Amino acid sequence: MRRKHKTLVASLTAGKAHTLTLSCKRCEQKVLRTMALCSHSTLYSLIDDVEAVVRIPAQINVVVEPQFLWVLRVGQVKKKGYHRIGHGSLCQGLVHHVTAPIILQKAGSDEQNPDIRGDKMLDFFTIFSKGGIVLWCFQGAGVSESFTGPVNALIRSVILQERGGNNSFTHEALSLKYKLDNEFELIFVVGFQKILTLTYVDKFIDDVQLHFRDRYKNELEQKGALKLLNNTFDFEDRFKKLLREAEETSKARSPVPMRSFKESEKSQKTVKSMIETKGGDKSKEQGGKKNKNTKKEVEPPKGDQGKTPPSGQKDVLNGNQGLTPEEVMQKKREDFFRKRMMGPTEKPSKSPKPQKPKEKVNRVWNNAGSSTKNLDYSNKNGDSSPGEDQKNMEAQFDPEMQVSSMKGDLRSVDYESSEEEEMEEEEEEVVVSKTSPKKSGGFGGMFGMLKGLVGSKSLSREDMEPVLEKMREHLIAKNVAADISSQLCESVAKKLEGKVMGTFTTVASTVKQALQDSLVQILQPKRRVDILRDVMEAQSQRRPFVITFCGVNGVGKSTNLAKISYWLIENGFSVLIAACDTFRAGAVEQLRTHQRRLNSLHPPEKHGGRPVVQLYEKGYGKDAAGIAMEAIAYARNQAFDVVLVDTAGRMQDNAPLMTALAKLIAVNMPDLVLFVGEALVGNEAVDQLVKFNQALADHSMSDKPRLIDGIILTKFDTIDDKVGAAISMTYITGQPIVFVGTGQTYNDLRSLNARAVVGALMKA
Amino acid sequence: MEKTDAEMTENPLEPYIESLRQQLEEQDPMVLVGVIVALAVVVITCVFLKYFLTSKTVRSAVLLVGLCDSGKTLLFIRLLSGKFKRTQTSITDSSAPYKAKNDRSCTWTLIDLPGHDSLRSQYLEKFKSAARAIVFVVDSGIFQKEVRDVAEFLYMLLTDPVVYRITPTLLVVCNKQDVAMAKSAKLIQQQLEKELNTLRVTRSAALSAQDGSVGGSVYLGKKGKDFEFSQLPMKVEFLECSARGSKGKDGDADIESLEKSLAKL
Repeated sequence: MRRKHKTLVASLTAGKAHTLTLSCKRCEQKVLRTMALCSHSTLYSLIDDVEAVVRIPAQINVVVEPQFLWVLRVGQVKKKGYHRIGHGSLCQGLVHHVTAPIILQKAGSDEQNPDIRGDKMLDFFTIFSKGGIVLWCFQGAGVSESFTGPVNALIRSVILQERGGNNSFTHEALSLKYKLDNEFELIFVVGFQKILTLTYVDKFIDDVQLHFRDRYKNELEQKGALKLLNNTFDFEDRFKKLLREAEETSKARSPVPMRSFKESEKSQKTVKSMIETKGGDKSKEQGGKKNKNTKKEVEPPKGDQGKTPPSGQKDVLNGNQGLTPEEVMQKKREDFFRKRMMGPTEKPSKSPKPQKPKEKVNRVWNNAGSSTKNLDYSNKNGDSSPGEDQKNMEAQFDPEMQVSSMKGDLRSVDYESSEEEEMEEEEEEVVVSKTSPKKSGGFGGMFGMLKGLVGSKSLSREDMEPVLEKMREHLIAKNVAADISSQLCESVAKKLEGKVMGTFTTVASTVKQALQDSLVQILQPKRRVDILRDVMEAQSQRRPFVITFCGVNGVGKSTNLAKISYWLIENGFSVLIAACDTFRAGAVEQLRTHQRRLNSLHPPEKHGGRPVVQLYEKGYGKDAAGIAMEAIAYARNQAFDVVLVDTAGRMQDNAPLMTALAKLIAVNMPDLVLFVGEALVGNEAVDQLVKFNQALADHSMSDKPRLIDGIILTKFDTIDDKVGAAISMTYITGQPIVFVGTGQTYNDLRSLNARAVVGALMKA
Repeated sequence: MEKTDAEMTENPLEPYIESLRQQLEEQDPMVLVGVIVALAVVVITCVFLKYFLTSKTVRSAVLLVGLCDSGKTLLFIRLLSGKFKRTQTSITDSSAPYKAKNDRSCTWTLIDLPGHDSLRSQYLEKFKSAARAIVFVVDSGIFQKEVRDVAEFLYMLLTDPVVYRITPTLLVVCNKQDVAMAKSAKLIQQQLEKELNTLRVTRSAALSAQDGSVGGSVYLGKKGKDFEFSQLPMKVEFLECSARGSKGKDGDADIESLEKSLAKL
């Protein structure tokens, strides 16, 4: 085995600023490699021997980190700071240049480097409220840049755009992962260099969330924002411990599925529910104990299903005959357990609202009745029914029945809440049947009971699943692209998970409200949309304001261009139309017709003898980009206020035409690139916009390519309430819908009313 | 017994009550319970209704609005606790009771609204009717760059029918005065007036929305005159302050002027 150079020290002195000497600290071997350096360069190029970012005077340590990870630290003499580079191939280059007596080491075997710890893998970890107040943050050793920028970028481009489907985000060199805690309105964000593949982060973030909630639940439960200001959240020690643990587990590489599963299950539960189980009144506690006891006595794999749907019950009944004795016994145990479960579920019937437990009790009663008939754990045959048990049950239930039947008066007042209860119960059933048998036995019943008493509960994923599914289908029916509606629902689920519902709300209404808010949020423009103001700005700078129209064939580019020029003319601007559709027969003539009509509507005599709209055309078959450029130059000379560039319609898959469009936009740098899309489009909208944006990005020479920055939604009058295309388009591009075309005349141009569209969308 | 007899003779209504009581006694006692519960429900409903209605009529909220990154949340924290905390872009509102620093020691609800474009109108909608004062926070450091966005937001705020009707005090806070290139409040006022004047023109020409409603029925300022803040029906004040403070994290904020103005509400 070759000798390992653990630490290479590269010293740079002020005098010898342009050479970097790498030497090994441990074996005192002097120079491994000398490279020429300049004062400003990147670490990538350090590898390529070109330039280096190293600020002088500096010290560079090249350290071997676990998992073939190489860290190059640039520590300035006074201020510590470092950059990480490399994983695998990237660092091979460095190794090569260092003329490689260094051997890449396997993860975990590097024990002699005490300073390489997990906390240096993470750049930052921050916990802040949804209101924007940072409660606690951790910054990796030596990370000097503030995390505010990346986290804000995360919030603005992921959370606020409802792209919460997957919880990771890349911002420049950083990878960010986040988790929302909806009960306490917290956000947990972790950031690390994107070249690192940290497998433990997901679990780690869950762990931190859980511990943080556990530790500060009392503080967090207070009302108002003051709690966040007056309490200090000193989480450092716990965090360090957790991080170390997470590191260890990832190092050990032993898959620990059980633990992680349990952790995540736990994290699903709300602190509130936990508190209630502990600190509830006596009856609840007893119920809990009872449940625990029963769990100890019998441990059936499916025993926790306190309320299996009646249909399942029947299956059990019918199936009993053909089963082996063991299985029969098993079944009976289950049934016995179910019966025992009745104890706690009865209790809410003593609550002040007798109406709703009646519903619940009745249902359970039916269940229990059929099961007790079947129940016999002393006999060998499961056919004889223990009448005693049944009688007991009846005796227990009789007064309840009476009470509720007497209070028929109350029904109308309480009707809604009882209905709601029923609904919740149904959903609860779904939960129980869906969750795995690992869930501890008593909780199904306990939750049901607590819900009855407390009236508010936190939403779980399973609760929402059926509602979300319905919403998703509803959105698709309204012409929202299928994968977008899935993503939206996913995002809404993320936003609601763990949220505590109000007393008089159902899961369905909560989800619907959240979805509605999200849709309004999506349609609300993310930037100022005021074309007239921008045109005035351009006017004051003595240059024309250039708008380019693009889109697929036949969506109404030219028609809407004419409408927009009419609107601009009405507002006193002069317009030059550049006919850059040199492809389709009749395109130029179409524009000329519009120009004539517009000029006849606004005769030149009224505008100082000058036609308010002119057409710039060079016939067919020419290069569109060239014509546009000439048109803009012409407009500048002739002092036109606005240039509207009409381009040929093109399918998004037509590569040569897309390249031509990208060129036109890259060369002319228009102030506004509007995508014209018809409101009739469904799933196709996604493909169109993605490909248009992609083409513009691919063929642009600059670092910040001009993409689509606005949408015109045409043929809006033809779609009735199937307004989904508006959502699809804004969701994909994140750009506002600037105009809506609603008819055939010049007047039929509107701005989008987000609330009206969402109203139409949510209408059943 | 004697006493009840005496009452009976005195009160002419007594026989009716007596017969009612008899009738009631004939009934099943459970029905009586039902009636009592029903009455109780009615009373509770009334109390609740009154509670909800009164809570809406009292306008005691001080709203912190402004563009993203103008320093609303930090100002919120500084006003409440005086401490410095790091902040991120807000996603929801945060509210807390704020005790004004005057002899009356009134308590307002300070509400920090998110400034992001896609959220601000939703949250403003939610809280505007309760606004006693609106603190409009402006980033003086990059005001020149943002002037159009600031003006647009302010225009939207001022032409809102509800805001126009209830005329809350408007405090335009020129924040971040600690930044080297910060504009003064006076300059900001002038530029905003100029910009709002332009916006009046462009906004009145804006396209109508799909449902036919035009931008807003409220006309800003006086017709035929250049816009000035003094033309507004509400009290407008321009203040300079710095939520971060000149000394940064450890030092105190420079927000006395705002505190004074809030005390005068």
